[in-house]
Amino acid sequence: MMQVFLQNWIYLIGAISLFGIGLYITLTDENIFKIIVGLNIIESGTNLFMIAIAWHPKAVMPIYTATNHLVVNGKVVSADPLPQSLVLTAIVIGLGTTALALTIAVKIFEKYGTLDVRKIKEAKR
Amino acid sequence: MNIFNNAALLIGVPLLFAFSIPLFGLISKELAKWVTLLTIGFNATFSLYILLTHKFPTIVVMGNWLPPFGENLYIGPVAALLVSLISVIGLLIAIYNLWAVKRGDVIRFSILFLMFTAGASGIVLTGDIFNLFIFMEITGISSYALAAFGPERRALGGAFKFLVVSSIGSTLYLMGVTLIYTQLGTLNIAEIAARINQTTPGLLTFAGILIISGLAVEAELFPFNGWVPDTYTGAINGVSASLSGIAAVSAVYALFRIAMTVFGKSGTYVTTYGKIDLMAVIAILAATTVVIGELSALSQKNVKKMLAYSSMAQMGLIAVAFSIGSELGVYGGIFQLVNHSIAKAMLFLIVGVLVAAGVGENIDDFRGLWKRNPFLALTFSVGAFSMLGFPLFGGFWSKFSIVAASVQRGGWYDFIIGLVLFASVVEAFYYLRIVAYMFSSDVEAPKIKTPMIPAIPIFILAVSIVAIGVFPQIVGNFSTQAANEFTHKMSEYVLNVIPTIAAH
Repeated sequence: MMQVFLQNWIYLIGAISLFGIGLYITLTDENIFKIIVGLNIIESGTNLFMIAIAWHPKAVMPIYTATNHLVVNGKVVSADPLPQSLVLTAIVIGLGTTALALTIAVKIFEKYGTLDVRKIKEAKR
Repeated sequence: MNIFNNAALLIGVPLLFAFSIPLFGLISKELAKWVTLLTIGFNATFSLYILLTHKFPTIVVMGNWLPPFGENLYIGPVAALLVSLISVIGLLIAIYNLWAVKRGDVIRFSILFLMFTAGASGIVLTGDIFNLFIFMEITGISSYALAAFGPERRALGGAFKFLVVSSIGSTLYLMGVTLIYTQLGTLNIAEIAARINQTTPGLLTFAGILIISGLAVEAELFPFNGWVPDTYTGAINGVSASLSGIAAVSAVYALFRIAMTVFGKSGTYVTTYGKIDLMAVIAILAATTVVIGELSALSQKNVKKMLAYSSMAQMGLIAVAFSIGSELGVYGGIFQLVNHSIAKAMLFLIVGVLVAAGVGENIDDFRGLWKRNPFLALTFSVGAFSMLGFPLFGGFWSKFSIVAASVQRGGWYDFIIGLVLFASVVEAFYYLRIVAYMFSSDVEAPKIKTPMIPAIPIFILAVSIVAIGVFPQIVGNFSTQAANEFTHKMSEYVLNVIPTIAAH
């Protein structure tokens, strides 16, 4: 099972690097809007990761028909449909989080007049 | 395998009414408030019915798809106890909110609060590792919005910090779940728990670290708890009370459901499969949390911030108790969880009443409170005594059994004895400082009238703290059963959900 999903190493590496890039932006950037962008990149990385483990280059679609055989010589050759449905859920959740984050960002801009984390910290004192 | 499908109402009813609140709001705002109260009241009654008539262990099967093929809810002793705790504390906070949330958007607050309760109950009830993620996000998103609620602008910063940290945490959790899925091809907690030894140890450890980092955010464990002070201080007091009394309960539950049931290797002391023992990792993180939380609480001048740091430290103490892995340790942990959520919710509500009456949030403002309002001073002292583990108050019994459990385990776990005593001494210092201020100083200040509605939940919580202190068996019996469920994963969890599964 392990070997099957490692065939997608390029996508896996892409997913992990997206995650890393997003984490770096979120942790180091001082602009609230860019932090939200970073969060979105992290989410995309995770979603890509989930899709990549469910599919391999020779996979067929997971619907059983007369010509589309899901199992060949005792090995499952179809893509796994479950992670894709999980990703749909994760995308919707990510959308909700982003929308809420942007709402809070707008409110922060209204109350503090800036989106810079450092200036907000100074304003608190 | 008992099937009790009606238990799904514990999640369904609050979600249904959460989204129909705007319709009630069209008629009147007062009606919307009372519908919220009645909905959570239904949850509290129904969950107490399940707990007291001993309906558990039972499962809820969705659409007749038996587990592991369908999604299921599992109600064991742990879930029954914690869902009752969540909904009773939720009900009391809802009573407080009748009074506290006057201006602004009552309707939106009610929607969020109901979703928050539904999500927290869902985390405790669910038997599916991906549904746990969904319920985490429901609780999470509603609590970010709740934390941003209110007139003060400092709430926004706290809520945003919470949102960022918690979203990263849940993404890490999702990655971990995906890694487990690649190994076993299932998302059902019971089936994963039964087949966890068929996985590659290295990958399993990596998945475990991802999942535990994700869950530690909401459970307020050390490297992931930077959001706690800002969020708790910024949020209005009813929300701070529900964050520490409700969200933290479900987060600790999720953490140890994963660490002990999913990853756990049964034995005299629960350890985990994989290259390293995740229970020991949690023990170290939690011990660090206790030390940092207590020392930071000690240096605070702001009472809300002090309570926030104290909450962090208490969560660390609970996690350390669970991570001993023996039945006595988990017993102490669950007992401490109940005590903490009752006492901390009460303390936040009292601060809320005082702030509304014009008393400041600083420790100095509490001077002479006994003369200004004896009721609030007395209940605050009850909460403080329970937090620091004074005999005859709830906290004493749980701290006592945590110490007993670490003595029983021995080895390097002996440090927990010192840790609990250290925590108690530091807590005694900063809580008794406030209590002394309240009782001794003679400051000339006008009396404060106690408003009727918030006095009800505060009174009930204070009475229950003393009741648990005098008759610890009220909670003790349930936490013994709960500890049994956590430490015997095959016989108490997996076989109750999937009776036909082969033991490993």
